[in-house]
Amino acid sequence: MKKSVLFGLCFVLVLFLAVPGAISAKEIKVLSQFPMSGIAGSLPEFGWGYIDGMNWVNSKEGGSGVNGKPIKWYLEDMRYSPTVEIANFNKYLAAHSKDEFLMATGYITGGLKPLIDKVNKEEKIPWLDGSYSTEIFGDEGGPTKFPYYYSLGGTYGNQLKLLMKWIKENDKGKGAPKVGLVYSPTAWGRDGIPEAKAYAKKLGLDVVSEIEYPYTATDATNECMTLRKAKAQYVIYHGYSGAGSYTASFFKTAKKILKEVQLMGTHYTSGRFPILVCQASYDGYVGVATRPFFDSVPRSKTPMDNPFVKFVHDFAKKYRPKEYVAHPMKPGGIKDIFLYVEGLSYALMIQKVLVEADNAGDLTREGVKKALDNLVWDFNGMFGGKTFSYKSHTIPMLRMYKAKVVMVDMDGKKVPTGGVYPISDWINTDEVKW
Amino acid sequence: MTDLLQTVGTGTLIGLVYALLGLCVVVIFKASEAFNFAIGEFLVVGSFLFYIMFFDLNLPIFIALPLGLLAAGIVGALIEYLTIKPLLGRNPISMTMITLGLWFFMRACVQLIWGSDTYSFFLDLPDITLETEQFFFLSDPIWAGIFSILTFILVVFFLFRTRWGLAIRAVSEDQAKAMAFGINARFILMIIWAISSICIAVAGVMISNFGALAAGSGIVGLRAIPVVLIGGMDSIGGALVGGLIIGICESLAGAYIEPMGLIGFKDVAPYFVMLIVLFIRPYGLFGTVRIERV
Repeated sequence: MKKSVLFGLCFVLVLFLAVPGAISAKEIKVLSQFPMSGIAGSLPEFGWGYIDGMNWVNSKEGGSGVNGKPIKWYLEDMRYSPTVEIANFNKYLAAHSKDEFLMATGYITGGLKPLIDKVNKEEKIPWLDGSYSTEIFGDEGGPTKFPYYYSLGGTYGNQLKLLMKWIKENDKGKGAPKVGLVYSPTAWGRDGIPEAKAYAKKLGLDVVSEIEYPYTATDATNECMTLRKAKAQYVIYHGYSGAGSYTASFFKTAKKILKEVQLMGTHYTSGRFPILVCQASYDGYVGVATRPFFDSVPRSKTPMDNPFVKFVHDFAKKYRPKEYVAHPMKPGGIKDIFLYVEGLSYALMIQKVLVEADNAGDLTREGVKKALDNLVWDFNGMFGGKTFSYKSHTIPMLRMYKAKVVMVDMDGKKVPTGGVYPISDWINTDEVKW
Repeated sequence: MTDLLQTVGTGTLIGLVYALLGLCVVVIFKASEAFNFAIGEFLVVGSFLFYIMFFDLNLPIFIALPLGLLAAGIVGALIEYLTIKPLLGRNPISMTMITLGLWFFMRACVQLIWGSDTYSFFLDLPDITLETEQFFFLSDPIWAGIFSILTFILVVFFLFRTRWGLAIRAVSEDQAKAMAFGINARFILMIIWAISSICIAVAGVMISNFGALAAGSGIVGLRAIPVVLIGGMDSIGGALVGGLIIGICESLAGAYIEPMGLIGFKDVAPYFVMLIVLFIRPYGLFGTVRIERV
């Protein structure tokens, strides 16, 4: 009898001590949003990369979450809509406590702007974003104005300025090089244009034409004829998806009307996707990018000399075997591994800063912010061993690439082969004196 | 002057494609007084059907094109049979509403089948680029203009020089009377939808050849609205004139107005012209003026 009473008392004592502890054990929650559908096209690769990445960082192989504590992650498709992105964020804010909901990520400038006060003043939650907005992350914005916003790439202003710099350094003609600017009539397209024009003026380049080419254009003949009349020698195409039919239309037309012109562009029109869509007309394109582009056509010919590149391909092969080998232009395959890498990069970055915050003994929103501000990292070798710091709240690493596309006969059809190959080393724009 | 001619020429070639789109709306409107708002989705479906024949099955273009267009015609007839036919005899507004529903339904189906990806589209037609010191007309728009005007002429020939065409015109004039004369109006309507779908597919294939094909390519179909409102909802000649006006107007706005600082005006210009025309002639330039006694 005594034994039973003693056992009962012990059981109650254990319950009394353990259960409240278990109930009060804080969870680590993060929300990520990507444009997996909508006007930018069907891009499930973002989600696949993120899902595989988060599962991996929570596994033993990937470091067991945050020092053994699993990260509870949520993923939403914001359909390239700021409204959806904001609504999702508000929904999660309402459903989760400040102590647990430590970080959020988004992907478009349109979502960042309406959330400025909510994120930076009311909630004070670290927010990683795929936007490279100059207005938010450039000289006019940045950490002092938007302390909780962080971008995973260099601003469009810096990307455009780097293109101008490349023109200046590589132009072999006489007189001021003539530059044409073609951009989308969106906040994205217009972003960085004033900075680029001012920098072009400083370098002595002549911006001879400025065209807003809409996504809804039926063809690009007029735009290309205007550039031809203006005698543009370099055309910078900015604010478009490399996967859009309008991009194919522009490149196809430009290649015929602007035969001697060097076509150039920013991050989202550099990569594998434009090779598949624009084919031979993409040959010779010079672009600037925030990530290593490492997905050749065919994929089997991708150089694996960068440790991060090798890691990503092995990772995708292991976790998405069917999608990795699927036909690139059929639904269900990884069309451009860059998209998969984006999702994966967010997962790696989230784990990295949460672990840093935990190691500093401050696993709170403020602790995560401090971890981001103090972060010095090589991103698992993404930039060829170079490290970056988050002092400008952007990953300021940019690299120039050139496309080489060759059409070959395959089963009686002409198919494109090639890739975009680096023509510069990684450039830390925080260290460039513009 | 050379510049102006170049701009007008470029606009004319695109305008011919718009005219074909306008014709597709007009023939349906004449027969049933319904406006086909799903024209953009018909364009995408027709283009994808051709894509399957030409790019997936690797058929030569002279086989792939007729087969693709035939498939587009069958789809058009089937859609008419399933959605429009049950509404015959009712208010044309209800048919127009159905086409609005079809717009979204077809878009969802396209995304389900082909996803939202962009498909490269290179027809590799013989290069007939016209390049002189003064002018530069690209091969693809010239082919688009040729195919569009040929299709337009074929449809007009079919409507005005064949017995089937006579039956179609009879149904367009008055369904009840045509039926009284022994014409199967229901079947004729199905034929009209099939013809319209084929013409839209021709326009779709030509437009896709400018760039690429995607589920979102259907947005071009909306250009048919200013075309038919300018030309007149029930005028075949009006569709041709309206198409040319829109094409040239877009081209002029892009070449002369946008460089003056009105960036983006090219997209607005067709609707601007449409408003001016509608203020002056509410039934369009060649539309039938209706006098209704109340």
